[in-house]
Amino acid sequence: MKAWWHRFMRTPGELHALGVVGINMRNARFVLPNNPRKFYGRVDDKVQTKALAQARGITIPETYGIIRNPAEIRRFLNVLGDRESFVIKPSRGSGGKGILVIAGKEDGYYLKPSGARMSVVDIRNHLQNVLAGLFSLGGRRDCALVEYRVRAAKMMTDISFQGAPDIRVVMLHGYPLMAMLRASTRESDGRSNLHQGAIGIGVDIATGVTVHAVHHGKVIEMHPDLKIPLLGVQIPNWDQILETAVTCHEMTGLGYLGVDMMVDEEIGPLMIEVNARPGLAIQMANGVGLLKRIEPVMKRAKAYPHDEPRQKIAFARNTFAARRASELLSRHD
Amino acid sequence: MASRIKLIAIVLILTLVGGGLAAYKHTQLGIPLKVGDKPSEWLVEAKVSFIATGEAVTARLSLPAVAVEQKAGLDSRSTGYSFMIQDDLGEYAAVWSADQREANQNQALYYRVRFPERGIVSGGPVLERGKPPEPDDPGMANNIRTAAESIVRRAKELSSNPDTLVVGIFRELNEEEPSQETALLKKHYEEMVGNEAKITLAIDLLKMAGVPVRLAYGVRLDEIRGTQDPIAFLEYHDGVYWQVRDPEAPSSVLDPREFFVWNRGGDALLDIGGGENSKVVFTTTRDSVPMDQLTDLRSSGLLVSTIFGLPASERQVFRYVVLIPIGAFVVVLLRNLIGIATLGTFMPVLLAMALLEMELKSGLIMFGVIVAAGLWCRFLLSRLNLLVVPRVAACVVIVTILMMILSVVSWHLGMRDGLKITLFPMIILAWTVERMSLTWEEEGKRSAIMQIVGSLIVAVVAFLVMEQRQVRYTAFYFPELLLVLLAGIILLGRYTGYRLSELLRFKNFQPAD
Repeated sequence: MKAWWHRFMRTPGELHALGVVGINMRNARFVLPNNPRKFYGRVDDKVQTKALAQARGITIPETYGIIRNPAEIRRFLNVLGDRESFVIKPSRGSGGKGILVIAGKEDGYYLKPSGARMSVVDIRNHLQNVLAGLFSLGGRRDCALVEYRVRAAKMMTDISFQGAPDIRVVMLHGYPLMAMLRASTRESDGRSNLHQGAIGIGVDIATGVTVHAVHHGKVIEMHPDLKIPLLGVQIPNWDQILETAVTCHEMTGLGYLGVDMMVDEEIGPLMIEVNARPGLAIQMANGVGLLKRIEPVMKRAKAYPHDEPRQKIAFARNTFAARRASELLSRHD
Repeated sequence: MASRIKLIAIVLILTLVGGGLAAYKHTQLGIPLKVGDKPSEWLVEAKVSFIATGEAVTARLSLPAVAVEQKAGLDSRSTGYSFMIQDDLGEYAAVWSADQREANQNQALYYRVRFPERGIVSGGPVLERGKPPEPDDPGMANNIRTAAESIVRRAKELSSNPDTLVVGIFRELNEEEPSQETALLKKHYEEMVGNEAKITLAIDLLKMAGVPVRLAYGVRLDEIRGTQDPIAFLEYHDGVYWQVRDPEAPSSVLDPREFFVWNRGGDALLDIGGGENSKVVFTTTRDSVPMDQLTDLRSSGLLVSTIFGLPASERQVFRYVVLIPIGAFVVVLLRNLIGIATLGTFMPVLLAMALLEMELKSGLIMFGVIVAAGLWCRFLLSRLNLLVVPRVAACVVIVTILMMILSVVSWHLGMRDGLKITLFPMIILAWTVERMSLTWEEEGKRSAIMQIVGSLIVAVVAFLVMEQRQVRYTAFYFPELLLVLLAGIILLGRYTGYRLSELLRFKNFQPAD
């Protein structure tokens, strides 16, 4: 007979058996020992991240310009040229703060994806806030990136209510551990944070097929707003996505990291950002505890310390393949 | 593995050093572990400060008889001065003297008196030595004199002895609607002597009525106050004894648990030669440790005495400072073990400190009202698209105005606690409003509210812990135990298990397949 409170919580024993990693464990056992502090600049500063990525030949959204001081804010329209859609990002922003997406232009106003209008003055104000450090860690002065707005592949926008889903791959020592797709809902309002109501969709490492989905921590099969099936969807360019993720590990020198990517209709997968302490919701999205993936990887890394990226990917694909992937894929078609 | 050994070694060393020092203090110096084990005693410290003019300095501070007769007094920190106790027929004074001091230099002299909480009656009746004193004539001008005489006459008609006369005079002076004469006299005296008008007037009236009277000075035994100015008392001769009365409550004998009379006998409290802007302030501290043992502690090595090597007024600061680590420990527990989300990491500790200054209930109400109103104003401001720094500044101004309004309103409603807001809580509140409005915009109202509620919970828990008398006592008398606390925090830093909040978060965790 279980005690009443089992209805409201799991016991530590149960979670441990499921291989669930908690925040304390993530920080103490994976983030702190594997991610040297001195490398954080490489991922916290997007200007640096993009420069590194470019040198490695990773495809990234084209940078139209970097705005570093008030004089450049005044000349902002020159940077833009005649482009009508773009994204403004604080270089040191975290958690998606301060990102402004402009989807088009109408009657001299810029339009956000939601349809809200912004004048040039509004955009300059936003740039000023970015430069003043409103969105950056610790309020430090920052610079703003003006870059290409990703036109997400149709297959991706199909399963999301407004906003384009992004793909996150979490890795340890360059072995992909787990991947998930984050799709927004009416409730999450274009944002892809799971606790704000976005859907987390687990992706099979071997095939790039969606195999599991959760909304507010509960398992679902259909999109709550669009009423379409979320499982068995094949993510395009999966091989390239995994290769990009592994290259990100090599370029940053971080042992434990999450790589966020989006798939553009024409260009294909684009690397958006790298996160040095990726969240734990990915376990819920996949229905698998991270420890179940971390333990084999640690063993492998110890036994074969000289694995090439190719071998790392092959190991992850073989070891972490989801049994249901092919069945779900055929059901979807 | 090596880092684990290092960790264990550090934790062991910290625990041994901290615990060992505490054990030494307890067993060798006899400082009790539990609060209230020994009768409390008071430490009253007079701090004389003045600015040297460049000539030779003589400072004369009248002392309470108990200081000399029972050897309860100790002077301290008066380097460069020669010190002596003057005995003038049972009236004592401390005299410091020194050759030329550098001009315009701030000088501070301390004198402390230590006495048990019960057993010393500093304001009791004192038998006059020698013949009974004659009151001298106060000497007043015409119309003032007439007014004074009529008050004295009225009071005399209703009294039979000096005791009732004192009460009668004060009743006249304290009248809600004063008679014409009283009003005239009060106004005259306020112009003449300012601050101590009432008591000076009472003294003159009593002299006129033929009762020998003089001024006495004392302090309130209240350790929350910090430094206080001396309180003027009235001392009169009832025919046999000298009696001391509080002008605010002339009919009752001074409560020795509430007041300590420092200076009797009518001498000036302080005389300074070779200095200007002189001033005496008092600090009262309640100690729960018997005098002789605390003296041991003070004269022990620096490692053992730590904060007890400081003068009382400086030591007072540490009553709060030593509580901060305890608040930090509570934050670690609640964040890493329970997993409560807070606004900023240590903001709850600051909030708990602010609550300690404001009292829990009024502090929470104040906090709620100001944060809510501040947020609302802040949203009005955000429509103006201000830049960050001016916006934070505007926020500080708004919170300041709100606090003023709230203080005035609560004063008129009779809630005196509201007025205790000081600089410290104000900055915390302004900062909280700004921080919370940012979270509100960036992460939505749900997480903003969760974080503010989380912060409040952590702050209240930290407050409740910090408020315990035992906790305060231990932290203050055994500051070395902070090393043990540090060891505990270091150990918690290596806790890799689940947080309570994660057990809830993952309750629907469904293994795939």
